[in-house]
This record gives sequence, structure tokens and C-alpha cells, in this order.
Amino acid sequence: MRGNLHGIRVLDLTSEAGHFAAKLLGDLGADVVKVEPPGGDPARRRGPFWGHVDDRERSLVWLAYNTSKRGITLDVTKPRGRDLLLDLVARADVVLETQAPGALATSGLGWDALRAKNPRVVLCSLTPWGQSGPYAGWRGSDLTVIAMSGNLHCTGDPDRAPVRCSLPVAHYHASIEAALGVTFALVAREQTGRGQHLDVAMQAAMIMPNMATASMFKTTGNRGARAGAFFRQPKSVQREIWPCKDGWVSFALRGGPARVPGLVAMVKLMDEHGMASETLKATDWKAYNHNLLSQAEVDALSAEFGAFFASKTMTELFTAAVERNLMLAPANTAREIAASEQLAFREFFVEVENPGRERLRYPGAFAKITSSDPAATAIGIRRPAPRLGEHTAEILGEVGVTEAMLIELHHARVC
Amino acid sequence: MDVFAGTTILELGAGAAGPVAMRYFADCGATVIRIESKARPDFLRTLKLTPNTPGGLDAAEHFAVLNVNKLSVALNLSMPEGVAVAKRLALWADAVAENFAPGAMKKWGLDYATLACERADLVMISTCLNGATGPHRAYPGFGGQGSALSGFNHLTGWPDREPVGPYGTITDSLSPRYSALLLASALLHRRRTGQGQHIDLSQVEGGLVCLSEALVTFAANGEVLGRIGNRARHAVPHGVFRCRDAADGRERWIAIAIHDDADWRKLVAAMGDPAWATDASLAAVAGRQTRIGEVECHLDGWTREHDARPLAERLQAAGLDAAPVLDLGDLHDDPQLAHRRHFREVEHPVIGRHPAEMNAIGFSETPADIRTAAPKLGQHTAHVLRELLGMSADEYASLEQKGVLA
Repeated sequence: MRGNLHGIRVLDLTSEAGHFAAKLLGDLGADVVKVEPPGGDPARRRGPFWGHVDDRERSLVWLAYNTSKRGITLDVTKPRGRDLLLDLVARADVVLETQAPGALATSGLGWDALRAKNPRVVLCSLTPWGQSGPYAGWRGSDLTVIAMSGNLHCTGDPDRAPVRCSLPVAHYHASIEAALGVTFALVAREQTGRGQHLDVAMQAAMIMPNMATASMFKTTGNRGARAGAFFRQPKSVQREIWPCKDGWVSFALRGGPARVPGLVAMVKLMDEHGMASETLKATDWKAYNHNLLSQAEVDALSAEFGAFFASKTMTELFTAAVERNLMLAPANTAREIAASEQLAFREFFVEVENPGRERLRYPGAFAKITSSDPAATAIGIRRPAPRLGEHTAEILGEVGVTEAMLIELHHARVC
Repeated sequence: MDVFAGTTILELGAGAAGPVAMRYFADCGATVIRIESKARPDFLRTLKLTPNTPGGLDAAEHFAVLNVNKLSVALNLSMPEGVAVAKRLALWADAVAENFAPGAMKKWGLDYATLACERADLVMISTCLNGATGPHRAYPGFGGQGSALSGFNHLTGWPDREPVGPYGTITDSLSPRYSALLLASALLHRRRTGQGQHIDLSQVEGGLVCLSEALVTFAANGEVLGRIGNRARHAVPHGVFRCRDAADGRERWIAIAIHDDADWRKLVAAMGDPAWATDASLAAVAGRQTRIGEVECHLDGWTREHDARPLAERLQAAGLDAAPVLDLGDLHDDPQLAHRRHFREVEHPVIGRHPAEMNAIGFSETPADIRTAAPKLGQHTAHVLRELLGMSADEYASLEQKGVLA
């Protein structure tokens, strides 16, 4: 099995914010080597643990984002560790890192040192704010970069604090951004023969999710506001997340050519269940414009739709939505997702064998690829997340480290 | 040097997910050609359209921000001649990107299987909500449904309230990044092997791969992760706290993340060692976790007496992870974003000068930039068909006369 990035060697020096970036490159066929300090990546100490066993090989956040990588241990802050890393850089195409700006240089592994060792290498630095600028020295994390992107301000209920997603979406956004930046730099290298340094900032990566509203502020004057389960319209506030019998569904009362057929079909469904009033059935959907509805009109509509949703389960509503193109979706949890017939049809989930433990069911490839040579364009998980130091001997062996040297390096706590 | 100088990408589709993806290429020098039609305009061109909008379809700022650096060809795909021209463009371009509902491209004979018969090394990407295959392939939806289906809604909000989902329908912003990654990797692969490929990106599946932690945790332990407000399982306190209102009455908030016990000691010192915080039972994370409500309440009382940005600067100076919550307007005054030139202005023929945003990648050797405003619908029809594709003057005139180029 090869893949679009077959033959590309990636050294992954990242901590949690960048684990996903290197995994994506690995899923596309790159040969990714995770470099951990001898004590292990801090994420290995993070629960929840598989089977609730507190063990560095059972951290689920580690296991989730480090598939498709081999793993070595190396203390790059020690001179011998640094020199071995530079030897690996000479044979690598990409280095990914997430240290504070300047920290790598302090260890003798800054951009100038890497470039001197290998002019073709691409260094991608993923940090909260960027490599330079007034806040480059600030600390940052998922919560604080989203705070400074405008996205947090607009998320949550109006009567409470702005709220983040409970899993770190800034890591996901910025990691995909980093992986695509690396791929662009590899394309550029095909023409120039040289690598380059990429400065990816998580704060900047979290602005695009506002979907142009930040750029439009200059003309709209709209600073954004939290609407909770609702959607703000010029003349009204309309519910978008509705309680149903066993959870929640997303459904909009908005019109427009793409959405009106779904509204019409929904009213028909409600009518079949005897839950559409004569007034609702008499609505002229051709003339329907959600922008023009008064709050009283919205409330009247919402009462009927809301009563219907409350009488049905997420599954009942979604089944109808798929059959009748209702543009309604359940707010799925992992349980519904694991049981999805669509995902089953597409063989999305894959079983990954974890040596010494068991098989674990993972989300698989992030896209499907068709080509005349499927093995050459394969995408998806290549191997389980590495055990601590699992591949140290085979990878350091490439740069001349013998078994005897390895024992000594272990002893000196270099690896 | 531009990464994609000399690369031509044909873009079909509408909205954000498809067009934002191709912005990455356009900003790096690719010639990105949108096929559009006045008969069925991109809905982003019509969001605020009324019969009296000056400039009509060309006056939509939402479209303008997301489509800078691109060319527009007007082509009516409901006419067979229009489809034929689209096909010539697809076979001539270096890559094709589309985000129609599954089946639309096949209906026109513009699907990968058909095009690949005539061009074996075609690189093409298709993006839709649930992917091109499977029982839900035809299910229509926007990002609102994508966010719900992939689990982001369930994970965002307060445990005692409705799920809300991150602002901006997150699958619409994750999928363009995946698209750009996938298409660039496919172009690199073709450059090295001569092989083409078709990429089928399901926006829901892309979102699910991001949420691997939640799905693997369910598979391993049967545990369903849920929304827990701003709290974190390992960092206490970890939240957003009210500050003094701005002079104009706007609410102000600060985000503070205390990652470990050393951070906690710094925070206690920064607060001036108040009695409640020096309680020894709060020194370790487990103790703070047990009394989290009380800790948050005290902290909120303290932050309310401060202005958000100066307080964040003070906490950062003390070595802590803290930041003011910025609204969409504040971003334009943020010194860090200004340093990166994240917003860059461009002159649009109808809208005038407006900012558009850059991606988050600083390239040391091949910088991206904003060069031209988003196109007016059909602005480049003649340029692309005549000069780039090499269509004869007669054929062009004939198509124009039949109304194909509109």
C-alpha cells in the first residue's frame, strides 16, 4: 500500500496540538516517524484510558491521533540526541513541530540548522499565535486561540459565557491547515528543489470557521452574537436545534429554493400524523420568506413543528428525513454515529490491531479515492499508534546506531 | 515564486465548502476558473439580493470575500452547448473541483468515470455532505446538518442546555481544508507518477475523523463524551469569565486555562493571594476539581473587576495561558493578526474596497497573497474561452448568440 505521499519521510516532533497533522500525512502514505522524549509524549498520560487502565499504551487521545506513524524516543535537548535528529533530518522531507517560537533553535534545531543539514527539508511550525508578532511569546491553547478568533464570542447561549466545543477544534483546524501547507510546500519543492519554513498559527486558522463574517464586519458592523439553539434573522429569532423524544434535531425554518421543498415535505409528513393545522397546510411556500416573518409568525410555526419533533425520536425523524429529503439532522452522539448505516455502507470504520492489547474500532479514511492503480493512491490508517520507543532501533539503525550504541544511549537517557 | 503558478483548476459548485477550498490554490498562484450561470447563481450571490440591489448578483460581499483571486466563466449548463464547453474546460484544466449534490455531474456527463475515459490522468475532487455513495448519498443538507450528524453539536454547549454547535457550521470550514490537502496531494502524485484520481470527500466523514477521540473512546469503553461547557477534564479551572463591560456597554470576557498546579500557583499570586485561593486543598488539580463550581465563582468575582485585554496581558506576563474574548469587529484591531496581515484589502468593482482573509500558513519562500477581487459573474468568459482555451471567434459569437454564455 503506497499513497499520494508515498516516499515522503516526516519527522513528527509535535505535542498534542499537532498530532493530528502528522497522522493526516501518514494516512496519505507518508512515512511518519513520531519522535517522543524518552519518558513518552505527555498525551500518553492523559485519560480516558482504554478499559480505564492508567497505562501509557492505553491513553485514548494518544491512540486516536497517532495512527499511521512509527515511533522512536529521543531527547533532542541533549547534544547527542540533537545530532542524531539532525542525521534523521538529512534523510527526511518534512519536520513538524509545535514548540514555542525559538525553542527549537535553543536546542540547535532551528530553521537555519535544519536547512543547513538538508536544503530540501520542509519545516512546519504550528503554534498558537505564530512565529513572530506582539503575541508570539504568549502561551495559548484551544480555548484561548478560539477566544481570540471571534468564534468563541459567537458560540453558546446569550445568557451565559461564550462556550467552546468540549473537544479541541482548534487542533483539528490548524492540523489540517498544517498538513495542507506541508503538501503545498512539497509541490513547490518539485519546482525549486528547496524546502521552506511554514509558520502556521492556530488563532489565524480559527478565523475562517466564522465563514467570512469577520471580513464583512467593516461593512455590516456585525460583531457577532450568541444565539444558542436559535438563528438570528433580521426581524426574528428562529429555533434551529429542537428537542425531540430522545435527544435533539437540527432543522431550519429558512426558505430559499434549496430549502423550501424540505419545508413542504415536512408539513406533509406532519399532516400524515395528524399534526399539521389547517393554517400551516394553507401556507403559500412559494411566497415564504423567512427574512420577512414577524416573531409572532415564527412562534406560531415553531409551536407546530416543535410539537411534532417532540413526539418522535431522533431515529424516526432522521429516517423520514432521508426518505423524504427533509433537511433535518439528529444531533448525533458517538452511539448513533457508530450505528450509522451510511457509514457502514461506506466501510468508514476500520478495526485496528493493537499488539499486546486488542482490536479497536477507528474512524477510517477521511476521503475515498478511486484510481486506475488503487494501491498507489491508498488512503487511511496504515498502522496502530506506536508503543513507546517501538521503532527506535530500526529508525536509528538507518543513521548508523548499532545495538551496542543503543544500549549506551538508553543508559545515558538519550533515547 | 507561486506554488501553483501555471496550474489551472476548474471549479463547479456553490456556497462555502467548495469555493473556500480552491481559495488556497488561487492565493498560491493557480488559475481557478469558476463556472457559473445567471440561470442558477451561487446562493452566496443571492443571500441579500432584492430586485433593487445595485450591482445585482455582483454586489454580494459574502461571495466576494470567499472568492477573491478567481476567474468567472458564465455558462448555462441547462443547455447542451454549455455542457459541451464545460467538458472541454474540464479536459483541458489540470484539475476539476466540484461540490454539487451527488449525481449532478453524472447527469451532465461531467463525472469522473466519463471524463477519465478521455483523459486518464484527470485529477478531480467531489465534496458533498455524506459522500458520493451509500444510502444517504442523496440526502440534501447544508453545514447545519453536517455539524449535527458528525457530532459537533452534541459536544458543544452546556450540559444542562441544548447542544449548540460551534459558530459557523464547522463541517463547512473543516472540509475546504481537507479538500485542499487532498487535491494538492493528488497533484503531487500525478507529477511524480503520471496517474490521475478521483477524490470523494464526505464532509461528515471528515468531521468524524477529527472527532476520533470521541469515537475511539466509545469503541474502547462504551463511554459517550458529551458537552461540558468550557471545562476540561485535566485542567482546572478552564473557563471563560466575565470582565468589566466595555465603555460602550458591550460585554467583555476573558478565557483562562490553568493547565497544571504550577499554573494554579501563578494564578493565585497574580490575584494577590486571596484567602479563598490559598486554601491548601485547592493546590492540587483533584482538589480544585472537587470544588470546581466554587473556584469558578470566586474567579469570576475577581475578573469582573478588570478589563479583559489588560488582565490577559498581565496573566500572560505572569506566564499563564489567558486571552480576551474578541468579537468579529475586535479582530480588525488585534495587533497579532495585523502583524500577520491576516486581513488584506482588495478593490472590488461593485462593492468597493473590502477586506478578505488569508489562510493561516506563512510560507517563507512562496507567500500567498490576495491579488484580484472576486469576479463579477461571467467577467472572464471571453478571456478564458478565447485566450486560454483557444476558442475561435466564430464559435464564441455563436455560443453568445444562443445564450449559452450567461
